[in-house]
Amino acid sequence: MKIVHGLISGDSHAQLHRDAFTSRMSAKKWGDFIPRVVETRDKSHMTEPVDRAVERWMVNGQVIEKRGVANCPAIMTDPMRAYHPQRWDEVPKAVYDPLERLKVLDQDGVDAEVLFPNPPVQSASFLQGDAEYELACVRAYNDALAEWRQASDRYIPLALIPYLSDVKVAVKELERAVKAGHGGVLMLAEPNRALQGKENVFGLTGVSSTSRSVPMINDPYWDPFWAACQSLGVAVHWHATGGIGLLPPRWEKYNRAQETVTLLPCGLSVLSQYLPSLLFSGKLDRFPRLKWVCTETGIAWFPYVLDACDHEWERRHLWTEGVTTRPSEVFRRQMLVCFWFEKIGVDLRHAIGVDNIMWESDFPHNTSTYPGSRKMVEQSMTGVPDGERRQMLYGNAVNLYNLN
Amino acid sequence: MTQAKGFISADDHVLEMPDTWTSRLSKAQWGDRIPHLAEGPGGAQHWMVDGRRLALPGVAASGATQPDRTQEPQRWEAVSKSAYVPRERLVAMDADGVSRSVLYPTVAGFAGETFGRIEDPALELACVQAYNDWIIEEWAGASDRFIPLCLVPLQTMDVAVKEVRRAVAKGHKGVILPAFPQHLRKLPHINDPAYDQLWATCQELGVPVSLHSGASTEMQYPADPTNSRVLAEATEAITRPLSSIGVVSNFLISGILTRFPRLKVVFAESTLGWGAFVIETADYHYGTFRLHLQGYDLKPSELFKRQCYLTSWYDGTSLEHTVRNFGANNVLWSTNFPQTTSTWPNSQQVIASCFANLAADKRRQILWQNAATLYGVNA
Repeated sequence: MKIVHGLISGDSHAQLHRDAFTSRMSAKKWGDFIPRVVETRDKSHMTEPVDRAVERWMVNGQVIEKRGVANCPAIMTDPMRAYHPQRWDEVPKAVYDPLERLKVLDQDGVDAEVLFPNPPVQSASFLQGDAEYELACVRAYNDALAEWRQASDRYIPLALIPYLSDVKVAVKELERAVKAGHGGVLMLAEPNRALQGKENVFGLTGVSSTSRSVPMINDPYWDPFWAACQSLGVAVHWHATGGIGLLPPRWEKYNRAQETVTLLPCGLSVLSQYLPSLLFSGKLDRFPRLKWVCTETGIAWFPYVLDACDHEWERRHLWTEGVTTRPSEVFRRQMLVCFWFEKIGVDLRHAIGVDNIMWESDFPHNTSTYPGSRKMVEQSMTGVPDGERRQMLYGNAVNLYNLN
Repeated sequence: MTQAKGFISADDHVLEMPDTWTSRLSKAQWGDRIPHLAEGPGGAQHWMVDGRRLALPGVAASGATQPDRTQEPQRWEAVSKSAYVPRERLVAMDADGVSRSVLYPTVAGFAGETFGRIEDPALELACVQAYNDWIIEEWAGASDRFIPLCLVPLQTMDVAVKEVRRAVAKGHKGVILPAFPQHLRKLPHINDPAYDQLWATCQELGVPVSLHSGASTEMQYPADPTNSRVLAEATEAITRPLSSIGVVSNFLISGILTRFPRLKVVFAESTLGWGAFVIETADYHYGTFRLHLQGYDLKPSELFKRQCYLTSWYDGTSLEHTVRNFGANNVLWSTNFPQTTSTWPNSQQVIASCFANLAADKRRQILWQNAATLYGVNA
């Protein structure tokens, strides 16, 4: 891939076509349970109820995204960025058509995008129904998204994995996906919490239909999976909350804007509470070439977590507890993080690591820098030397995803 | 360089005594529901409050004073006197270059949350009053180097306000409030106007409200159960301050700071590192979601600078960037004595390293002046 604009988005969202699942999953076997777009007049399916038929994604027989049929407010006309398309024919092609999307990328000055999901995928998974159903959905998703890579090498798709099947099945699905063109894997931080219905985070619903549990992510059960990621050279990705909640209690008098502005600072940074579990797990020492990426988390809070983990490591002699390497060293060796609007975060780049930072646009979600990505980048990059700037804006992504 | 007269540690913890409540509450009226130390199997003791066992890792949270700081004392005799005897505490402060110390509880909850869980309003009030009296009689009475903060009963705000007035009249300098009372028992959301009386009273009396981290386990990620105890406690020491992120982000949008523009709010044991992120993120989305058109006249960062304080004890990287981006007016420093995470007895070395690149006036402001102004301390 040729770098023209000098900007790679480490976190954008690809909307799959409404037929992506119905054309790939067996109608005989799965019937109406196949993820698909349906028409509904039921007001319980609408965040903002209207007196007309709207369209919604339905998965495993449940409407799972009540705001609209695609999550793309940044490219709609509403200046408040609150409007989600209510019918499929309102969805701009650049949201779901890879070739149309390239034109929008060029307008916004973006060379390439790492592709995260849009509805009907919620919180990085299809954790629904039983193992066979989940796997069928995951495979259809991975196949459909791999076509974006086949359309252009400016896309880096991320694969999903099944959680309800044995880890061997997850490894096999990852190998299959990487062969088809996927450049990484997207995971829930702790799938078990979602399964146990402990979480009520941005849109993660409908998982209580299963009573199964999976081993905690630090359990050696997952080791074959980390080994596979390491040997395939694909990074594990966490996105935003990683499926972890811990949000403040809802205040009923907030309107949607107030609620969102309240929730975003803690929702985006909530993985800060999970990061110590990863850094203290010893996993990254056992798999020292495994890369781990945090996207849509912002970056300015990372120095604190690194300071805090180092502080407790020293205070409690955690090397005697199996944490052999200083946590901040492990972070700098193996983790990457993404920013989009932060000036303070970029100001802190040396406390994080210039090699550990990537840029993201979050297109086409409401917080996205689109269509002013260049301008926003300039605001964040004031006073940053050219070499560091190139590293953060695309160099680190080129290395991580082998884009040369 | 000695800081003997120059450092107010803005967040330390007293350890309540086995007789703090038993000597003040009527045994005839409350029996075993009174907070007390109980004998457990194998010779270990634990605290009981209203029939419930307290979730402390020992009889104290005083690891910093133990021979091995990862081992909390399991019997009262094993607790260092510096945790609960004011005169011994002064010695520990002298050894660490601490001139004054702002006092938070331990048994009553690091964030004053323990009695909020008591359903019986009369017992809750009796426990709160006993704590408030004990702090004045035993600690503030022993030395003006202790800055006492009172607890409030959460049952009704009429009672809460009355207790705040009583406590402040006795010498308390601030009010400790669990950040989300509804997580303790069935109570209104903190944004509810039901609490306006309390905000108004604190504003009128000029006493800051302290929301100490750790009041809501609902907002704190539990340590991986497969971890060792030491790793679990290390994780807990990191996630506790992080659980205040949602407390701050809610407070900045809640309208409370707009309705009570002279109210001061201290986020204790918050650490600093995420503060700049939370404020910048709130400001950015305040813009993208156009909240200035929806009844707000100040941005989250402006409200923060006018009324809020973050408290830290070790994150030096964050100290520098917080001061660079938001100035030194809204930062407090502490030793977090006597918890395991405390910098005691090396607080001066930690301060020297964390403040190395800060100008002398900023250093004085954070180590002394901000807390002195907040709590009305004269040098």
